[in-house]
Amino acid sequence: MKKINLFKLAVNNLRRKLVRTILLLLVAAVVSGTLLGATIFIFGMQNALKIGTYRLGADILVVPAKNEEQARTALLAGKPTSFYMDRGVLDKIRQVEGVKLVSPQLFIEPSSFTCCYSVDVFLVAIDPATDFTVMPWLEKNVRNSLTGNQVVAGRSMPVMEGATIPFFGTSFKVVGTMAPTGMKFFDQSIFMTMDAAYRMAENSATQSPQPLHLDKSKISAVLVKTDGTLSPERVALRIMHALDDVKAIASDEVVNTVRRQLSGLLTGIVAVSAVLWAMCLFMIGFAFYMIVNERQRELGMLRAMGAKRRHVFRLIMLEAVLITLVGGLLGLALGFGLLFALSDTICNTLQLPYLMPSPLVVQELLAASLVFSVLTGLVSALLPAFLASRLEPYEAIRTGE
Amino acid sequence: MIEARDLCKTYRVEGQAFTVVEGINLVVRKGETVSIVGHSGSGKTTLLSLLGGVTKPDFGQVMLEGIDLWSLGDDRLSELRNRKLGFIYQFSSLIPTLTALDNICLPTAFGTAVDNPADRAIALLEKIGLADKAGFYPCQLSGGQQRRVAIARAFINSPEVILADEPTGDLDEETEREIIDLFREINAESGTTFLIVTHNKEIASLADRRFAMKNGALKEVPF
Repeated sequence: MKKINLFKLAVNNLRRKLVRTILLLLVAAVVSGTLLGATIFIFGMQNALKIGTYRLGADILVVPAKNEEQARTALLAGKPTSFYMDRGVLDKIRQVEGVKLVSPQLFIEPSSFTCCYSVDVFLVAIDPATDFTVMPWLEKNVRNSLTGNQVVAGRSMPVMEGATIPFFGTSFKVVGTMAPTGMKFFDQSIFMTMDAAYRMAENSATQSPQPLHLDKSKISAVLVKTDGTLSPERVALRIMHALDDVKAIASDEVVNTVRRQLSGLLTGIVAVSAVLWAMCLFMIGFAFYMIVNERQRELGMLRAMGAKRRHVFRLIMLEAVLITLVGGLLGLALGFGLLFALSDTICNTLQLPYLMPSPLVVQELLAASLVFSVLTGLVSALLPAFLASRLEPYEAIRTGE
Repeated sequence: MIEARDLCKTYRVEGQAFTVVEGINLVVRKGETVSIVGHSGSGKTTLLSLLGGVTKPDFGQVMLEGIDLWSLGDDRLSELRNRKLGFIYQFSSLIPTLTALDNICLPTAFGTAVDNPADRAIALLEKIGLADKAGFYPCQLSGGQQRRVAIARAFINSPEVILADEPTGDLDEETEREIIDLFREINAESGTTFLIVTHNKEIASLADRRFAMKNGALKEVPF
């Protein structure tokens, strides 16, 4: 038989007013769930931004001036797009002071991926001879560079390595998949060589119901690596000064734009979380003040039968901790579930990158949220518990009658 | 055993002072049963709470086995209440979410000299004739059964003094009789000291000495 102790007494006390206990559990759950969801979401966006910009590898992205917004959206939200400028800009950019490497990329008209799923795919053609953004990754993860009709698929593409997939009537073999980055430009793209892209365009006239026209004198973007003598922002300005009708976007600028968006979002999330937390603190504190009031006679009797002040204090604190612990666990499950369900929708709406933090970080955030939830219980019940412990036994019995 | 020396207690209600216990001196010997009778508001319950160390006197001392209760710190006083004193109230004092057995064992959660509280609680349940109701919750017990469980709870730590405040109040005659018999039996078996506040003449007649309380003063009443 289980011995009666403070824990058993606390659990039984909570069961006594089940509706009130459930309401308090829900308050704790909402707060811990919101805090966890918000924290993981913010970490996820920062994570994606960090990995995505690192993976981009370029200091500057040069695109046609009129397509700047499309380029930013493509980069951050992975929205498939296509725009073109003259290939001649490559040589001009190469001659700008501060430029070390340049490599062209071709963004091919969006195509429906009709293999088995209905997913928008972004086809990106690279020049293996000059590429320094995709190739370093390929060299590490694929034994050889891309040749012939080989492609590399982003992590969100529903294809396995070794699979064959058709685009515009040409079959391509998937020789590798990329690690997730959270940026759809990488995760939802298929990378192929420019030669393969041109062959695909030629074949499409006879083999595809949707012909593709690619002009070999056109490219979509130029990725630039600076030599470090000037800041990327200054080199970007020089490129725009040297070339008409182009927009040179420093990757830092993209990151800063997102950071600014994140900062606003972060402030909002922190403000909402703080208000929720304060409400939770007040509600639990008030509830326990009421609990102590209505149980005065009982607390007085416990003191009369030998409970010390610290026993009464611990009893009230234990009840608060149990509520915030169980409510916190419930909230963590709820917050995590909602985050999984809604993160794509939120990211698409806000057009921000998102990548779930590593399992270790998630575990740490889970633990921190739970600790925070329990601390909330401890802080909110501190005053009622103290007051309960200071009640004079006979006075409490008399007042409670 | 337990001694009151010049005890005084005054309450203030809306700025007005009410003296409920005024200069009481009382010596109760070990194993003795003392009954206190008096009208409502005469200060009987306050006197009992003063003797039990649950309320502090304005003046005077309460000595238990030579120890001045109010010279002790709260921890030591609580321990003393836990080990040496048992309270029986005039109201239903059981915790509604605990079974009869757990209610009886409750004081052991705060300290006990009993090796196996559950075994002792079961023995007490047998003694009060409720062995088959160990797992029952208070709401499943009658008023008399609840009162008997509360009495068993007061005895769980084998206290030396029982302070009973109207232990048979609100009970029918048959249950009253059962409780009176129970007190007699326990007193005969363990030599526990009883201080009983009562209106019940039969309970009062159980006592070795009877006292009457009026306007905060205590006076011994001869048999």
